Amino acid sequence: MLLKSDIVRLIKVLDLIAKTLAYSSGIAIGAASITLIYSTTRTFNFAHATMVTWGFYIVFTMQSFLGGSPYYYILFAGLFSAFLGVILYLGVNRPLIKAGVGEITLMMSTLGVDLIYFGFLGAYIDYLLTQYKIYATQFYLELYDFIIPVGGAGYRGIGLVAPLVMITVIILLHLFLTRTRIGIAMRASIENPSLAGLLGINTDVIYLLAWVIGGFLAGLSGGLLSLTMAGYDKVGMDYIVTFFTGSIVGGLYSIFGSLLGGLLIGMGEYIGTYLLSLYVGTWITTYRPAIPLAIMVATLLLKPEGLAAINWSRIYSSIKSLLR
Amino acid sequence: MLEIPQELLLLILQIILNFGIGVIVTLSLNLEVGYLGIPQFGRVLTVLIGAVIVGGVIGRIVALYLGYPAGLEYVGYENFKIVSAINSVLAANPLLSISILILTLVLAGLVGGVIGYLTAYPALRLKEAYLGITLLAFGDIAQIIFWNYEPIAGGTVGVNIIDPFRFTGEYRQYVAIGFILFMALLIYIYIERLTNSPFGRALRASRDSETASRVYGKDIVRLRAQTLIIGGAISAIGGALWALYSLSFKAITYTRLLWTFYPWAYMMLGGTGNNLGIVLGVFLFSTLRTLIIMYKDYIPITQYIQPARLEYILVGLTIVLVVLLRPQGILPEKPVRTLPKKRIERLIKRS
Repeated sequence: MLLKSDIVRLIKVLDLIAKTLAYSSGIAIGAASITLIYSTTRTFNFAHATMVTWGFYIVFTMQSFLGGSPYYYILFAGLFSAFLGVILYLGVNRPLIKAGVGEITLMMSTLGVDLIYFGFLGAYIDYLLTQYKIYATQFYLELYDFIIPVGGAGYRGIGLVAPLVMITVIILLHLFLTRTRIGIAMRASIENPSLAGLLGINTDVIYLLAWVIGGFLAGLSGGLLSLTMAGYDKVGMDYIVTFFTGSIVGGLYSIFGSLLGGLLIGMGEYIGTYLLSLYVGTWITTYRPAIPLAIMVATLLLKPEGLAAINWSRIYSSIKSLLR
Repeated sequence: MLEIPQELLLLILQIILNFGIGVIVTLSLNLEVGYLGIPQFGRVLTVLIGAVIVGGVIGRIVALYLGYPAGLEYVGYENFKIVSAINSVLAANPLLSISILILTLVLAGLVGGVIGYLTAYPALRLKEAYLGITLLAFGDIAQIIFWNYEPIAGGTVGVNIIDPFRFTGEYRQYVAIGFILFMALLIYIYIERLTNSPFGRALRASRDSETASRVYGKDIVRLRAQTLIIGGAISAIGGALWALYSLSFKAITYTRLLWTFYPWAYMMLGGTGNNLGIVLGVFLFSTLRTLIIMYKDYIPITQYIQPARLEYILVGLTIVLVVLLRPQGILPEKPVRTLPKKRIERLIKRS
């Protein structure tokens, strides 16, 4: 028989675990999107912010119109953001890459696209309100989440689904990059774009594919995150640097590094704040958003190559020799 | 005399205000981006610091001078009372008001310069996108800190700001906006002179070819640090003037969208690396933005959506179109103006 206080503590711990796992999986998927697009097209995608937010809103609107669980609609969120990615690539990114502009110009152009997408998102929110009387300025989809009962308490479904989706993404990306012709071509053009072009790889198709997959991952991450936090028009803009951090900590050129980096950042943010709040007091929790930023600045200034620079095989062999 | 309707007058004042502040901040951005060539995605940092200086430091100095509480009591519930008491003293004391104004600008410039110097550390180590993201993170971190940390500038409650223009009575708005415009002009002249001096030429040289300018004995590290100090100081003055005008401070309103990305859009439209182009770009944007708000009733779709949404689309579209169609902006960067050879020879002869 559990005591009441024990149940309260259990609820708190389960909630923290679920939120941490869901949030860090969402961030990891989004960070993979940043890395995929940067490593292929050299574009730091600022439009990622509103592409993630559109993910939130696709799930929200489909849920309010069609009902049922928000989980049904997460894939549509991914598809819609993939569509946004295609528009961005064909309309802006492609001509700029052909013109051979620098990284900063590429970055600024995606910022312009982000503002356009953001303006349309705002118009959409207003339209929902005036035409359908749907209040979309702020919403909480976590209310529709299912609960897995755990010994008198409950565990949020997203705490299980989001990590599973992330693992699926890892497996599918791995299969795509190692087993398919075009995936191998993509890896080749990440490692050496000019040589890949020389070998007859159509970089145009590769770039388009990167934006499709990257856009899909951005929307997917938004759809998953919509079940862990409030949705509002600037949610992507508020978290964009967190996605960047995951990508940079992961080394910026390694997709799996970025997934790992995103996971670390997300976990560091939640668990780090929780642990700090135990020791220094709860006031630290309001500074939670600053933690990933601080981690990123530290990474960039101390170890700009990120996790990818760590020689895993050497660590692995030294552990092996220790165990022997 | 020509009768100007009140509404139109307010609109023109609003345009001039946005223009003046925009010119100051964007010129400082252009100095760092257009001339030095670093991706300054954290312009909001020094602007915010300038505003914090006004809200949290200058207010306290004046309170201390006039014998009001200036410690932790300055922020929070007592803040409104203290500031209104100070304002009623300032209303009757033009000399003190003007000295406070000068002190504000000097202090904001100094602290902004120091912050600018500190950002030189990453600016010397990182390149391109990495540096941009790092500077962006600095701005965000500062905003999170001042939004949550109450003792300096009130945190989420914010602070009221003392009003050194109060003594002008009913003309306060005109005098304040006029002063901002005057400061914008001064800063424009200063930057124009600076960028046409040997210093400015060295900046462009180091931007275009670091190695070549090193060969000619230019100290790149020193150049970068100096430029970041100047840029930081000017943008902090811009932030301080904005805070003095708006009479209240809340860190949440100093967003990277408004104080970093919008100035970038102004700069790109006007012409990166051309100071006159910056003035033109800011003018076009501040007029257009204000006009959208004014004529919102005539735009057919605004019964469904807020006009602010159109503003975002407009700014975004401008950035995209400029990048795609006219990357050099309306007024492209011009070769550096130097004195004609004959005049230099004459000057040498005379001396």
